[in-house]
Amino acid sequence: MKFEDDSQNLRLRIRVIQVLVILLLSVLGVRLYLLQVVKGDYYTARAENQRIRLLPIPAPRGVIFDRNGNILVDSRPIYNVILSREDVKGKDFAALVEPLSEGLGIDPDYLRERLQQLRFQPAFESARIKENATPADMAWVEAHALEYPELRVEAQPQRRYPDGGLLAHVLGYVGEISQAQLESPAYKEKGYKPGDIIGREGLEAVYDSYLRGRDGYQKVVVDSRGHIRDTIEKVEPQPGQDIVTTIDIEIQLAAEEQLRNSASKRGVIIAMDPNNGEVLAMASYPTFDPNLFSQRITTKEGRAEYAAMLKDPRTPLYNRAIQGRYPPGSTWKIPMAAAGLMQGAITLDHSNLSCGGGITIGNKFTRCMGHHGSPDLRVAIMKSCDGYFYRLGLKMELEGIMKMVDDFDLNKRTGVDLPHELISWTPSRELKARVTPRDPEWRDIDTVYASFGQVYDFITPLAMLRSIAGIAVGGKLFVPHLLREARAVSEVGPLAYRQAQTFDRPNPKLVSISKEHYQAVVKGMWAVVNDAGTAARIRFAGFDIAGKTGTAQVVRLGKDVGENKDHAWFIAFAPAYKPEIAVLALIENVGFGGTHAAPAARAVFDVYYKQTRDEDPEPQIAMKSTGANRNSIP
Amino acid sequence: MAAILHRRSFRDFDWLLALLATAIVAFGTWQIYNAQPDPASTYWQKQLIGLGLALIAMLAVAFTDYRKVVHVAPAFYVFGLLLLVIVLIPGIGIKVNGQRAWIGVPLVGQFQPSEFVKIPTVLMLVLYFSKARHHALTWKEILTGIGILAAPVGLILLEPDAGQAITYFPLLAIVLFLSAVRIRLVIAAIVLGLVAVPAAYTVGVASGKIKGYQQERIKVILDPSSADPRGYGYHTIQSMVTIGKGGLTGSRADSEYSQSRLKFLPEPHTDFIFAVTAENTGFAGSLLLLFAYALLLSRLITGAKRAPDRMGMLVIMAIVGGLAFQVFINVGMTLGLLPVIGVPLPLMSAGLSSVLATFIAIGFAISVQLRRFVN
Repeated sequence: MKFEDDSQNLRLRIRVIQVLVILLLSVLGVRLYLLQVVKGDYYTARAENQRIRLLPIPAPRGVIFDRNGNILVDSRPIYNVILSREDVKGKDFAALVEPLSEGLGIDPDYLRERLQQLRFQPAFESARIKENATPADMAWVEAHALEYPELRVEAQPQRRYPDGGLLAHVLGYVGEISQAQLESPAYKEKGYKPGDIIGREGLEAVYDSYLRGRDGYQKVVVDSRGHIRDTIEKVEPQPGQDIVTTIDIEIQLAAEEQLRNSASKRGVIIAMDPNNGEVLAMASYPTFDPNLFSQRITTKEGRAEYAAMLKDPRTPLYNRAIQGRYPPGSTWKIPMAAAGLMQGAITLDHSNLSCGGGITIGNKFTRCMGHHGSPDLRVAIMKSCDGYFYRLGLKMELEGIMKMVDDFDLNKRTGVDLPHELISWTPSRELKARVTPRDPEWRDIDTVYASFGQVYDFITPLAMLRSIAGIAVGGKLFVPHLLREARAVSEVGPLAYRQAQTFDRPNPKLVSISKEHYQAVVKGMWAVVNDAGTAARIRFAGFDIAGKTGTAQVVRLGKDVGENKDHAWFIAFAPAYKPEIAVLALIENVGFGGTHAAPAARAVFDVYYKQTRDEDPEPQIAMKSTGANRNSIP
Repeated sequence: MAAILHRRSFRDFDWLLALLATAIVAFGTWQIYNAQPDPASTYWQKQLIGLGLALIAMLAVAFTDYRKVVHVAPAFYVFGLLLLVIVLIPGIGIKVNGQRAWIGVPLVGQFQPSEFVKIPTVLMLVLYFSKARHHALTWKEILTGIGILAAPVGLILLEPDAGQAITYFPLLAIVLFLSAVRIRLVIAAIVLGLVAVPAAYTVGVASGKIKGYQQERIKVILDPSSADPRGYGYHTIQSMVTIGKGGLTGSRADSEYSQSRLKFLPEPHTDFIFAVTAENTGFAGSLLLLFAYALLLSRLITGAKRAPDRMGMLVIMAIVGGLAFQVFINVGMTLGLLPVIGVPLPLMSAGLSSVLATFIAIGFAISVQLRRFVN
């Protein structure tokens, strides 16, 4: 040092500063080492995470066909206007409302509401502000790219269902995956993510895993504002598996026409191949438009429409075939008859029981609709003699009826490949105790009621049809189903080949019933239509229909008028001894089965006949048959 | 005579110091080039022009006798304060990011008075404290020193530019420390600082004087993992990601997708130039840069020790204090050690004012050294 400082040790003080400087720089060096060398990989990954983005390319969902290759449901691309998050950061939302609502024709109130929602949604990536954009909308977005860089147009496949609610309950519909579904482990496992379109009802839901394609993606580099700088990788989507259903659209159309033209416009018609369980038609009325859910549910009008449907007392959203429980009325006599023979309550040689015009249990008389003397099984079925079946029920006792119910799976779900199938209510001591807690004891009168399809019998139409169709083919109860085939899809890039699928439970439940026994029942059913039976009016020369009518009381006798009229049932199959098709028709609150349900079923047989026999069926007889063919049983 | 002086000047000229400073600017210019998100921007060319001007200014200052300059320090000081007043006048002062800190100059573009006024402030402090010392610093002297500093700092806070204002404090601290301030006062100041800063923060938060975003900027330092990566923690987190990504030797392979090219790193060519350097050259390159600063500062301190008089020693040490503090604040900020404060990294950050002011300061240091044998 060139000068001295006698007031302090200057040399030391300078050295302190020097050490301090080196110390501070060393601190920086150590921190640098920690960030770059120790945690370098972590930050490299973090940097990559924020610049690499996977943009999904939605895969088209599989098409749904009927059994003859007619398209039932397909998807078409629609275009949505998207508002992306990064570009509206710090922007004044309110200023966007007017130009956007004017330019794109969006309701300003809706837009304001939508933008308001976005404000409180911290992590949104982008939001649809207009669905189903028109070419004019898309042109507008393009023309205003400089003023509104936050807008873009995105293609999205949209599901399109047949008009008029055709087959709505079977097809179901798709919708955006719900929060609850996203949180459930079963869905998490399958890799669903928010915003995914998923089958929510019907076949769309049951076979979602077949129908849904595998989304492709685009791996892109984005900058901090989310603008795409580069595409690194592109994987094309793999479409979903097309599904061929067992439905025959012509039969389905005929069935729906019958319901639409029925007096109450409420009911079910099911057609099924009894030899394998394939459902040819399943119509439930009233119906609904599934396009509401796939296309309009996000709009105000759509939501109002949905709310109205939920409140509609006619329950259009219910699939009556599997969600309606009805007293089966006299159709119940068919499994009763079969079980009576199987259990030995009656025999082929001695099947006669007294009609008596009814029966008196204690001091209560329960009447039959006619006086049939002492009919045999054939006549009892043909004439639908209640007195006969009261006595058969008493011979079988509750235990016998319960065994029948169990044998014919009437107390179980049929296993049809549709969601939300209900289990029927069938006679049991527990049911009685539940229905009339004041008088929980099962009595003989209850056995009488249980044996003619009232009071303790509430059966879903499909379960009823399955049991009778099972008897028709000698005790083979197939699982009714709608899937014929899910077609294979070839591999796309890394997305593997998907093999064809068929219905997973093709084997029937076997009920041991001898040929003589079930044919005796069929003989009675044949007589119902072809002899002086309750459905003689639908007799069809050249196509032996065997059937059973039912007229199920909804309220006590005497009050069965108007809204509370009886349900009309008809369950049949044809040809009688070599059945190809089984049909159930149930029209709610219209009266006699023979008058209302049987002709509706006949219309379905007609279509089938025309398809398979390649000739026009003979026209239905308008008047009630006189029973001229009494002795023409084969 | 002139020839002898000339030869001697050439021999005694601190080439290493000048070269080191120039090399850092050149290295910085390369990083500024790397940092540009927009290929059309011209920051690196401007920086080279700035370097040329700065070298001329440095030579001019180096060959001027610093003693003569220090003796007219009051004139420079008053002129500096005048600039700081002028910059506050709307219409003359240009507002950038809410701070009215720039004055437009034809041809050059714009300059930042607060960068330059450090020099007259140093000179003024040095002038006042350069007399030979025979006793410890009196309270009157300390208060005068504070007064000299307070005027420019107060004006800069009006811009408001807290970052620049902070860089003035080490100038006074160094000068007081080397002017026989009592050690117990130094210790008291350190203790007071350690107590007062957290206390002031607590009181500031409680009274609402410290704004929400300022709190966030501090919170992100204390606990970066829980900070909102999209909010005020964004700058710090992105800077740390950028630095960490550099690894041992830098990630030049994907320079097209660098943090600054993709605009994740804010202000890459100015405040966060160190992060860009770390991304491109890795631990090796950024450590080398820290070594360069260490060398530069050591060289200056050596020069201070050899200074012919107190005045020269104080000039150089004040410069050392200013530079070291600014390097620490800026690099500490990019490394997530300190909250985000807008302080440029000397010699590295793009900006004519900063480069020019730093080179003028180095010019003074060289001037002192040139005269170490001339008494």
